[in-house]
Amino acid sequence: MRSLCFAFQVYLAFAKKSFQRRMQYRVANLAGLTTNFFFLLVHIFVYTAFYAARPAPQPLSLDEIITYFVLCQVSFMLMPFWGTRSEVTSAIKDGSVALQLTKPVDFQAYWFADECGRALYYLLMRGLPTFLISLLFFKVTIPQQPTVFMAFTVSMILAVFMSNAITITIFSSGFWTLDTTGISGMSYSIITLFSGMLVPIALWPEWLAHIARWLPFEGLIDIPFSIYLGKITGIAVWIAIGKQMVWNLFFIGLGRLFLTRGFSRLVIQGG
Amino acid sequence: MIEVDNLSKIFKIYHHRKGFFGSFANLFSRKHRIVQAVDKVSFTVKRGEIVGYLGPNGAGKSTTIKMLTGILVPTSGSVTVNGYIPHRQRKENAKHIGVVFGQRSHLWFDLPVQESFELLQRIYRIPETQYRYNVEMFDELLSLGDFFQTPVRQLSLGQRMRADIAAALLHNPDILFLDEPTIGLDVVAKARIRQFIQKINAERQVTIVLTTHDLDDVEKLCKRVILIDNARLCFDGELARLRRLLSTERLLTVDYAEVYPDISIPSAHVTYQEGARVQYRFSPEEISTADLIGAILQKFKIIDISVQEPDIEELIKTVYEDNSLILPCGETT
Repeated sequence: MRSLCFAFQVYLAFAKKSFQRRMQYRVANLAGLTTNFFFLLVHIFVYTAFYAARPAPQPLSLDEIITYFVLCQVSFMLMPFWGTRSEVTSAIKDGSVALQLTKPVDFQAYWFADECGRALYYLLMRGLPTFLISLLFFKVTIPQQPTVFMAFTVSMILAVFMSNAITITIFSSGFWTLDTTGISGMSYSIITLFSGMLVPIALWPEWLAHIARWLPFEGLIDIPFSIYLGKITGIAVWIAIGKQMVWNLFFIGLGRLFLTRGFSRLVIQGG
Repeated sequence: MIEVDNLSKIFKIYHHRKGFFGSFANLFSRKHRIVQAVDKVSFTVKRGEIVGYLGPNGAGKSTTIKMLTGILVPTSGSVTVNGYIPHRQRKENAKHIGVVFGQRSHLWFDLPVQESFELLQRIYRIPETQYRYNVEMFDELLSLGDFFQTPVRQLSLGQRMRADIAAALLHNPDILFLDEPTIGLDVVAKARIRQFIQKINAERQVTIVLTTHDLDDVEKLCKRVILIDNARLCFDGELARLRRLLSTERLLTVDYAEVYPDISIPSAHVTYQEGARVQYRFSPEEISTADLIGAILQKFKIIDISVQEPDIEELIKTVYEDNSLILPCGETT
C-alpha cells in the first residue's frame, strides 16, 4: 500500500512537470484559439444551413448541435489523436525510449502521467477559453442538474484516459513495424468518424449508428457529450460509463501486452 | 559487480521494398538480414573498477551497454549486474545504476535543471539529506549553480553534459555507465568531466564502464580496457599491457621520389599508401630500423623518411584494422 501511494506520487509529479513544461509555451498556444474558432464556425455554418433547409424535427436541436461542437473544440485537444502529439509518442520512433527504460519507472504509467499533464494544460489554456468565449457568441446549453454535470465530468475523464490507452496501443505497434504512419493514419480516420467527432451519432442512419454503438470510439466524444446534453439519462448513464470503463481496461491491457512484448524485441534505431 | 558470459545479440533488419507494390509485398513476406551485433562476449568487472569499453563505430559497444542496462534483451548468453538480470529485473536494476548517453540527454528538455533533479529525487526515492548533500557536492565540482535554473534546452553542450552526469549520480548508484561522455566537448570541459569521474570513482567506489572514441579519456581514466571489434571481444586487460604488446611494432613513413608499382619490403607490412607516401609497420625484433632503411634505400629513391612509435590511437587503429595482428580473441588477464 505504501509503495502504491509512493508510485502515485511519482506519477503525479510527472504529470505536474508535464503541465509545467507546457506552460512555458502558453502565449504561443493562445494564438491557437483562432484555429478552434475557425473549425467551430465551419461546423456551425454547415449545420445551420442543413437545419434551415430541412425544418422537420431532428434528434438534436440546432442549439444542441452547436453546444456539441463547442464541446468538441473544448475537448479534442485533450486527446492525443487530434491535439499536438506528446514527446512520448515519438520516443519509440527515434529510440529515445531507451533512456526512459534506464529509470525505475513503469513506461505505460509514465506515458499516462505525461498525457494527463498535457490534457490539463490544454483544458485550462485552450478548452476553457474556447468555452467561455463561445458562451458570449452562441447559444450554448448548460446542464441544469449538477448530477448531469458530474456524470459528464466522469465520462470526459474516462474519454481522455481511453484516448491515451488507444494511442499507446497504436504506437506500441511501432515495435513491430518501426513506422507507425500507416496504422496511425488509418486509426485516425476510423476514430474521427466513429467517435462522433464529425457528425453526432444521433444523426446517423440506424444501421451505421448500430455499428458505432458496438465500437469503443463513441466513448471518446459521443458518450460524454450526449450525457452533457441530457440525451442519455437515468440508468443509461451508468451503462454508458460502464462501457467506457470496460473499453479503458481493454485498451490498457492490450497496450501493456504490446509494450511488454515490444520491449523484448526492441531494436534501438540509430545504434 | 558485472558478469557477462557468452553474451550475444542478433538483430533482424527488415528489408523494405520500395514503391507501392513493394510495400504491398512487404505485408506478406519480408526479407531480412541478420546482424550479429554482439558475439559471445564474456568479461567481469569488479567493484570500483573503471573499465574502458572500446571499439570502432558499429562494433557492438552500445548494444552491450544496452543489454547491461536492461534496455535490450540478449539473444543468448547471460548478464548479471549487481546480482540482477537487467532485462528481467529492469526496474530493480535501474535503481542501482546510473546511465549517461553522451548523444542524448536524460533531463527534461523544457525543465530547468533543478526541476529535473527534483523529479529524479522522487523517481529514485532519494532521501532529502542525501539529495542535498549530492547536489551541493556536484555543484562544487561541476559548478552546476551557474545554470541550475536554466531550462535544459538552453544549456551549452558542456553544461548539459555536466548536468546529465550529476543527474545520473544523484541516487548513489553502484555502477555508472558512460556512453561517450565527452563527445563534442572542448578540452577544458573534457578535463573537468574526467576529473569528476575520477573523484567519484575514488571517493564512492563507483564502478564505471566507459565507452568512448576519445583515447585521452582512456589514458586518463582507465587502467583496464576491453576492446571489441566486429561484435567480438579482442582484448581484455591492462592498458599498459596492450601498449606493451603492441609497441613492439613501429611505423616507418617514407616519401618516395616517385610512385613505384611494387613497394613491398621483406619483413615489413605496408599499412597505407597514398601516392608516393608509404607507411610500413615492422617489428624491431625481426628487422632493425637501420636494416630496414638500408633495404629501402637499396631499392628506391626517397625524399624523406621518419620512424614513429605508435601512440595509443595508432595502436587501437591497428587492432581494429587487423585482427590477426594481436592476441587470440577472448584472451583475458
